[in-house]
Amino acid sequence: MVSSINPSVKMIAIVIPGLILSLAFDVMTPLIFFLYLLMVTVFFSGVNLKKWLMFFIPLSVFALMLAWTSMIHTDEKYAGGDILVDFWWIEITTGSLQVGISLALRSMCFIALTLLFALTTDPTKLMLSMMQQLKLPPKLTYGILAGYRFLPLFKHELDLLRQAHQIRGVSRTKGIKGRIQRFKRYLIPLLANAIRKSERVANAMESKGFTGSRERTHYHDIQVQKRDWMFLASMVSALVLAFYLSYTFGYLNIFGKTF
Amino acid sequence: MNQWKLKEIVLMSILGVVFGFIYLGFFGVGKILTSIMAPLGLGDLGYEVIYGIWFIVSVIAAYIIRKPGAALMAEMIAALVEVLAGSTTGPSLLISGFIQGLGAELAFALTRWKDYRLRILIFSGVGAALLSFPYHFFTQGYDALEPWVVTLMFSARVISAILITGLLGKFISDQLAKTGALQGYALGKEMKQKKRDDHVA
Amino acid sequence: MSHSPLLQLEHFTFSFEEDEKPVINDLSFQINEGESVLLMGASGSGKSTLALCLNGLYPEAVEGISSGDLYFRGININEFKKGELNQQIGIVFQDPESQFCMIKVEDELAFTLENLSIPRKEMVEKIDHVLDLIGMKPYKQSKIHELSGGQKQKIALAAVLLMEPKLLILDEPTANLDPVSSLEFIELIGELQAKSSMSIVVIEHQADDWVTLIDRVLVLDQEGQLTLDGNPSDVFQTHAEQFKQEGLFLPQDFSGHQSPKQQPSPIASTHPCMTINHLSFTRKNKTILDELTFKIYPGKLMAIVGQNGAGKSTLLQLMARLLKPKHGSITFEGLPLHEWNEPKLRQRTGFVFQNPEHQFITDTVYDEIAFGLRLNNESEEKVKTVVQQLLNTFHLSEQQWRNPFSLSGGQKRRLSVATMLDETPDLLLFDEPTFGQDAYTTQELMNMIMNLKQKGTAIVFVTHDINLVDQYADRVMVLNEGKIAHDGIPERLWQDEDLLKEARLRKPYRLERNEVESIGLIH
Repeated sequence: MVSSINPSVKMIAIVIPGLILSLAFDVMTPLIFFLYLLMVTVFFSGVNLKKWLMFFIPLSVFALMLAWTSMIHTDEKYAGGDILVDFWWIEITTGSLQVGISLALRSMCFIALTLLFALTTDPTKLMLSMMQQLKLPPKLTYGILAGYRFLPLFKHELDLLRQAHQIRGVSRTKGIKGRIQRFKRYLIPLLANAIRKSERVANAMESKGFTGSRERTHYHDIQVQKRDWMFLASMVSALVLAFYLSYTFGYLNIFGKTF
Repeated sequence: MNQWKLKEIVLMSILGVVFGFIYLGFFGVGKILTSIMAPLGLGDLGYEVIYGIWFIVSVIAAYIIRKPGAALMAEMIAALVEVLAGSTTGPSLLISGFIQGLGAELAFALTRWKDYRLRILIFSGVGAALLSFPYHFFTQGYDALEPWVVTLMFSARVISAILITGLLGKFISDQLAKTGALQGYALGKEMKQKKRDDHVA
Repeated sequence: MSHSPLLQLEHFTFSFEEDEKPVINDLSFQINEGESVLLMGASGSGKSTLALCLNGLYPEAVEGISSGDLYFRGININEFKKGELNQQIGIVFQDPESQFCMIKVEDELAFTLENLSIPRKEMVEKIDHVLDLIGMKPYKQSKIHELSGGQKQKIALAAVLLMEPKLLILDEPTANLDPVSSLEFIELIGELQAKSSMSIVVIEHQADDWVTLIDRVLVLDQEGQLTLDGNPSDVFQTHAEQFKQEGLFLPQDFSGHQSPKQQPSPIASTHPCMTINHLSFTRKNKTILDELTFKIYPGKLMAIVGQNGAGKSTLLQLMARLLKPKHGSITFEGLPLHEWNEPKLRQRTGFVFQNPEHQFITDTVYDEIAFGLRLNNESEEKVKTVVQQLLNTFHLSEQQWRNPFSLSGGQKRRLSVATMLDETPDLLLFDEPTFGQDAYTTQELMNMIMNLKQKGTAIVFVTHDINLVDQYADRVMVLNEGKIAHDGIPERLWQDEDLLKEARLRKPYRLERNEVESIGLIH
């Protein structure tokens, strides 16, 4: 299961394809890798598919919108081929269509990668693993965890602020200046309160003997095992395979160059 | 890391968490702007005009805490929060967080973390814009766009960094300092000192 | 009890800035092994700062300048390594929201053990043991933010106990708890005290529940100096007058019983200002309020009490039209609440939040009060007169150009009420306005409220403070599981033992003390 993979290794295994995939401008490479990601998500992630779709669909719609820009403003390098649509200022060629679809598929890969990470990773374990494996200083690790803990509190505070503003009769102001004002009226109390609390948390942590020293024992001993390396290897292999297949079928296009 | 006080780290982290969510929220704003501009085929530009918001925590954290690394780390924490909360840009966001933070840190590094006047804060924002654009050119496939669109996007990003990152970032921090909550941090102390000097003068 | 000194202060002085007056001023006293001390003093007397100094958090966390010496078991605290002294002296702080860095209970407890470099194999046993000690074993895997305030404070205590400290400092640990949770926490301390030999320093301004646990009382004055030091009867009886001069409240055991100050309101109107009819509210298919029917009258103070989750705040929000009822109706001044035009409604009603900061929207105290008037397009002249008047009434004239957030706790509270009074409202709603406030601020607030009541404003007040209800309320409503379990004069509620127990309410001190033995609430 992906959720039991060491969080630091998982992060690396997900960042690498996220970068390398940016090289490809053809349809085939991201398509193959996307199919692989779907397979991992469905069979090995243990993620509830309904929940996954709830995140995936709205994010993908947005990705399509961005791909549209690339499709109608395609650089000459990519815009070859027959003209498919020529309507007012919109001109779509087979080349630009291809690039548009490629970028959309690429975005969908990114989304699937993020979800594979976000939905299977416990933030506490991630931070502890970053301290134990990636040698993040304990001060930073626990400082970040302490900050992260405030999340549920922020949500509650925002609800209260909204109500309090309604009582004071702050109308929904319009215009850019009004919007900045409103942004400020929420942000400043929220942050002022959080800052005071952060000082107290720091005091409480230090009063419990926390010094930031690396010499400490670990309640959760997070290890790197063989299966973690296997997960990393499988992600990288799938990526290489996607590029290879795309190359054999004659689709591969890296920054406008076909191979 | 040893010169950092724990409370400064917790503060930086809280800023990272809050702005991580604000960043996510602004994806929504970006979406609205994008869908307005998308029919014209300038969808990407919708993002660029507000791009400065995605560098803002660097300036705020650096301006308040005034320690080497504040700009870089705050931005990376925000990126981490975004990834954990689920974002479109994908895991590469961690890397773009690093690059944006590095760009923002540059201005402070060049002044040896001693100068925090408005112009340096603006430089910091512009630094983030300058460093992040080539990276996004790569990951977002801007190579496929016509050159004039790319130029337009780049200019929009720089202007946005000046206005939002530099000016708005300083404004928010100063407003926060006025609440008295920053007394134990560099910015709060500077304000107090200034007040005292004014008093003497 | 041994009498060797555990902690010794010699002319200890502390200030935050070089040119500011010291917060702690030339303190010299000692705390012995096994001793339980109550440290008292009005707000701003430096009690909490002292706690941080004793713990050796100075100068790392508390930036400031100190002089004089502090000794722990005869050794100057400057000679301890970083973190070493912290492990000997544990502190439980006031705010349950800001003492933790981990999400889960067991991880938070492990954090303490990791700091001490306890081998992993021993951790499980230690964690189980301490959870057993505080009676929280079923919550080992729980998320801390989902616990109640009282449970959070117990976890904070457990995390400190794991260090096996020689001295336990409790810095107003119950200030943010409801009365029953507060009593439970204090009882727990009593049990621990009987089992161990650690010294305890309790910082409090409400001494009542602690009196039976302590050997000695120290009182700091406004200047941060020690003015009283003696056993409880010595301080509370022999020096009662001096004690009261510090703006502190004597425990009711020593002050004699206060009878309720009933102020009959001049307006005995039979015409209700708000009528609530078969009101129901559900959230996520869960019934929060179930078929409530009651009326609110001008010039009366109604208190709403009940345990956490009973729906008190929801009811208040419905009455302020911040939420929409699912069923039933609310009528305000003859017109259905939902038909009121928004600005008019906000003019004639007011709502004071638990945290005054939530209400602040401008940059100065002056603008804050003027905001509502300007919103109603009043002339700048009228704005000025009304604002000046309110500034005077609420003693905020000197602070009028300050940023609202930078005010002291009491000033913030006053300002939050003042912003609601640019016109005398018909109905004023309060959501636990005295929560976490000190006795003086509470007193001040209640005086303002009684004034408004005299003018005919209907007051509705959600609170956990039973003594406040006893002293000021004309009428008290108990909400229990979304239903009205009691609605009438407070005196009748105090006689209903079964209901008090069911709704997790305490009796006011004046009655409780008479029955200590018979109920057995306090050891």
